[in-house]
Amino acid sequence: MLSLLWLIPLLPLAGFLSIVLGGGRMRGSMVALIAVGVVGLSAAMAAAVAIRFIYLPPAGNSFTQTLWTWIPATGFMPEISLRLDALSLVMVTVITFVAFLILLYSAEFMGGDEGYARFFAWMDLFVASMLVLVLADNFLLLYLGWEGVGMCSFLLIGFWYRDSANARAARKAFIVTRIGDAAFVVALFLIFTHLGTLTIQEAAARASREWPVGSGLAVAAAALMLAAAVGKSAQLPLQTWLPDAMAGPTPVSALIHAATMVTAGVYLIARANAFFTLAPFVQWLVAVIGAVTLLLAAFAALVQCDIKRVLAYSTMSQVGYMFLALGVGAWSAAIFHFMVHAFFKSLLFLGAGAVIMALHEEHDIFAMGGLRRALPGTFWAFLIGAASLAALPVVTAGFYSKDLILLCDWTSKSGSVWLWAAGLAGAFLTAMYAFRLVFIVFFGELRTKPGRKPGFRMGAALAVLAFFSLSAGFIQIPPDIVNFSPLSELLETSLPRLSAVSVGTQTEALLQAVAGLAGLAGIFFAWFFFRHPALVERLVLTPLGSAFRRLWLEGWCFDRAYDALFVRPYIRLAEINKDDCIDLLNRTLARACESMHYLLIGTQNGRVRQYAAAVTLGAIVIIALMVLL
Amino acid sequence: MITVPIEHVILMAAILFSLGLTGVLARRNVLFILLSIEVMLNAAGIAFVAAGARWAQADGQIMFLFILTMAAAEVAVGLAIILQYYRHTGTLDVDAMGGGRR
Amino acid sequence: MVRGDFFILLPLIITGGAAVAVMLLISFRRSHLATATVTLVALGAAVISVICVAAAAPRQASALLILDSYALFYMGLIFAAGCAVTMIAYDYFERQTDHREEFYLLLLLATLGSAVLVSSNHFASLFLGLEILSVSLYALIAFHRERLPSVEAGVRYLILAAASSAFLLFGMALIYLERGDMTFFRSTQIASGVPAWSPLLLAGTALLIVGIGFKLALVPFHMWTPDIYEGAPPPATAFIASVSKGAAFVLLLRYVTLFGLHSGSVQSAAIAAIAVASMFFGNLLALREEKVRRVLAYSSIAHMGYLLVAILAAGPLAAVAAGYYLVAYFTSIIGSFGIISVREGREGGGDAVSDYRGYAWRHPWLGGAFTAMLLSLAGIPITAGFVGKFYLLAAGLESSLRLLVVVLVASSAIGLFYYLRIIITLYGPPEAERQGAAITPAVSLAGGVALTALTFLLIWFGAYPAPLLRLIQAMVGG
Repeated sequence: MLSLLWLIPLLPLAGFLSIVLGGGRMRGSMVALIAVGVVGLSAAMAAAVAIRFIYLPPAGNSFTQTLWTWIPATGFMPEISLRLDALSLVMVTVITFVAFLILLYSAEFMGGDEGYARFFAWMDLFVASMLVLVLADNFLLLYLGWEGVGMCSFLLIGFWYRDSANARAARKAFIVTRIGDAAFVVALFLIFTHLGTLTIQEAAARASREWPVGSGLAVAAAALMLAAAVGKSAQLPLQTWLPDAMAGPTPVSALIHAATMVTAGVYLIARANAFFTLAPFVQWLVAVIGAVTLLLAAFAALVQCDIKRVLAYSTMSQVGYMFLALGVGAWSAAIFHFMVHAFFKSLLFLGAGAVIMALHEEHDIFAMGGLRRALPGTFWAFLIGAASLAALPVVTAGFYSKDLILLCDWTSKSGSVWLWAAGLAGAFLTAMYAFRLVFIVFFGELRTKPGRKPGFRMGAALAVLAFFSLSAGFIQIPPDIVNFSPLSELLETSLPRLSAVSVGTQTEALLQAVAGLAGLAGIFFAWFFFRHPALVERLVLTPLGSAFRRLWLEGWCFDRAYDALFVRPYIRLAEINKDDCIDLLNRTLARACESMHYLLIGTQNGRVRQYAAAVTLGAIVIIALMVLL
Repeated sequence: MITVPIEHVILMAAILFSLGLTGVLARRNVLFILLSIEVMLNAAGIAFVAAGARWAQADGQIMFLFILTMAAAEVAVGLAIILQYYRHTGTLDVDAMGGGRR
Repeated sequence: MVRGDFFILLPLIITGGAAVAVMLLISFRRSHLATATVTLVALGAAVISVICVAAAAPRQASALLILDSYALFYMGLIFAAGCAVTMIAYDYFERQTDHREEFYLLLLLATLGSAVLVSSNHFASLFLGLEILSVSLYALIAFHRERLPSVEAGVRYLILAAASSAFLLFGMALIYLERGDMTFFRSTQIASGVPAWSPLLLAGTALLIVGIGFKLALVPFHMWTPDIYEGAPPPATAFIASVSKGAAFVLLLRYVTLFGLHSGSVQSAAIAAIAVASMFFGNLLALREEKVRRVLAYSSIAHMGYLLVAILAAGPLAAVAAGYYLVAYFTSIIGSFGIISVREGREGGGDAVSDYRGYAWRHPWLGGAFTAMLLSLAGIPITAGFVGKFYLLAAGLESSLRLLVVVLVASSAIGLFYYLRIIITLYGPPEAERQGAAITPAVSLAGGVALTALTFLLIWFGAYPAPLLRLIQAMVGG
């Protein structure tokens, strides 16, 4: 069973190829069948592999499959090999499963779009790239997946490329994440030159052996990988691309936010945990970045009017939680939250997509309202997603994962009260913006009459995701309720265990109660403000209120700041500097090549006797060279 | 019997070769260019015969036979192509050929 | 000659026999399909026979030919390339009316000459192989006798190739004069294993390099390439660009390796100079060239320059690198000219880069295949060309040929410009008047099969090189 591991990324890739090569001639239903089918098969394979892995764990709790060596040369063995351990197992299972549901949903959602085949081709490639990323045994292959994910996100965000705003959003996503990618490449060079290998496990082992904790190289490697991760995962300071990335079709947003792309950074840090353990400062930085991002994004989400923008900021904020967990060494808690987040975030996006479709491409939440009765199925799905996001105690999965992160912040040796407090404040804000969305969109009076309702395929995807948004938390229940934690037991076979200060059961229970209360309080405040719109208006009209509103609406004005600080000065500098020596050198080189071309091309005049003369001259020169030298 | 020193034969072959080469470079008529190439080939043949004589082997003379045969084949095909060229242009002047960067 | 000799010579016998068979077939009944089929079957049988006789290798068949694994590998490559050219030629000539069957006869003979060339071990067989190849090429180039450019190209090639074989012959005569033996091994090595250089021997070697360098179109013997590539029918060009050059290169590699010219000797400086000049001149000449075929002609000059790096490197990796690069180059260049031939036959029109505007939109498959071919020629990853170039670089660095490696990289960078220019044009917006006229079908069955196979191989060898690499290591590495 395990030896069929290679099929998991290959199937979506094959789907991509067959659609690209034959998509023009295929009917839409055929395209959808192939695209959804291959990912479904891949998900089934992943499930089978998972069962085999859990009930009959391979030796060393990991399974490496070397397919071939790409271009072997002395000292450089770029192997195409896959590695399955608990971490990649969880990632693969979640990615294939969620992607399958999203694709199933898109088969209906994208119906009638002129780029139907193109859409599914890119989606399949997106999934394949992400699977290569998480299954890669070495950094080179991981980097291939990393770049593939980046390219597909570019293509899909700019899917409706005729609108220049979409193209601009795609470009922005590509360029901003590119900054992180560049750091990643440097990290790879660093690792290869100093450790002499690109195999992840081997490099980690050598690093732990050869680099002392806190040494310059370790800090540099970890910091560069952190830079790569914040780019892909939309964390401070490279978070600005994510809100604009909703320019793509809604299923694309769901895929980017839930299963692929933004979670790549989280995966990278978890996978390279040895390097971060060697650089405690960088790891602390991971936690701080997570904490700050989760707060800033939560504030920004509070005031957005575009339904997808709220969700985009919420993703940023939730990935911030994952970073917070990674930063305090709670590796498995981060992956747990990734898994739960994948379910409820895709559910929310797909629910939002159903609303948007029903209201004829309406994105403004204030034009919605009262949809509870008009779209009951969508309402319940969205409500479940929002409840999970708000970490409604006991019944939702979000509660268990967020609670675990907060607990780890408190108990971890590298945690602190401040990180815990940030997480707690975030939990309050999260609940507030999540339910603000629910109340405004689904309660109150009906403002726009809904048109097309979701059909079977969309409904099925929503239902399954709703089920998992509620139940996925039960595989990791805190010990003070029921001692049942198979997920962390599984993950700890490949990730280090959290080094925690033990606290009493009572403290734990108290912390849980506080976290639960924060969520409930958030929901209450959302309800309160929804019932008293005049209060909100008054708040907004105060000078401080309006200033903050504007600030948050623009996501803390990072775009404007970057524009003023980097983009415009850079462009101005480039304009001033366009005739500097480097440009001059480049241009001179190009000119020199060109003029040499014109010089040489003159000899190609078609005169055969001159050609013969050249041969003769060449012969004389070579004889002279050989004989005289 | 007077033996000719090997150097002299090689020298003569080299001179003959250069003469042929000069013909290729200087003549404009395709037929004369072909003739000049024949001279070059025969110069090489003489060099082979001389070399064979130096080592008292028949190989050099066999090579000369090969050269003759191949030259004949070459001329047969070559003349056919030149004939086509003449039909198209009405001239045998190689400098009248178009080409190069058109 | 004994029975074993006949057995090991089976590939050559099949090809030669097929030439006679095709000639008889044409004289009895002219049928394009039948002629092409016989040719294809014969060449396919030749490929299979290469595999069959591989077990009996190495074996010296008379003094003239040596059939070791090195020769057999390249022979197989040449026959396979011949198959691809046959299929492309069938696609091309199916739409011509006049005298098309002789093309296959000439193709078989030229392939036979190339196969003799790669297995030759004696000056006589070298000369014979080269001349069989050349004389067939004269006719192949001038095959369109009703078109002046084709005939002109034939006259040009005739004059230059005949003159350069005179150089080659004179060089061989001089080496023979000094060494007293015409087999490769004994003419390069004396009892001590190292040739004692004398002026005449050096001059002979230099002339030999001139003769082979002309076939390879190395600077300064390169000038014929663009005119011939442009004038000859595209399938013939595909053959010249791949098989003819490849066979000459294989011969040069064998000879120079025996001679030990590579070992940092002063004599290798001459070859290094040719390599540097070829890489730079080839890429520079192609830079702003407007015609696609001429661009590919100039680029082939550069590619042969790259290959010379392998000759000079001569480390354990060099032979493998050269083998891989040749396979990659064969695949991409035959594919490129295949597409040019398919397009020219159907769309007609000029050969200017601008004529290809929007081609990929009209024919996504062919456009995609052409893109892959060009990317491979440019050496972009996931294509065979990249892996080939990677190994050339690795081989060069292994032998510390710093200068040559730097030149290789720099000139490849220059080369990227013109490949990308063609690719961008392929995907440019189609011209208004062309847009409406969809041409059906885009390609015939034979051409389609050949091009699909070539594109597939290109990606396969680029993404999963291990099997081919193992084969090459086993065949030419030792």
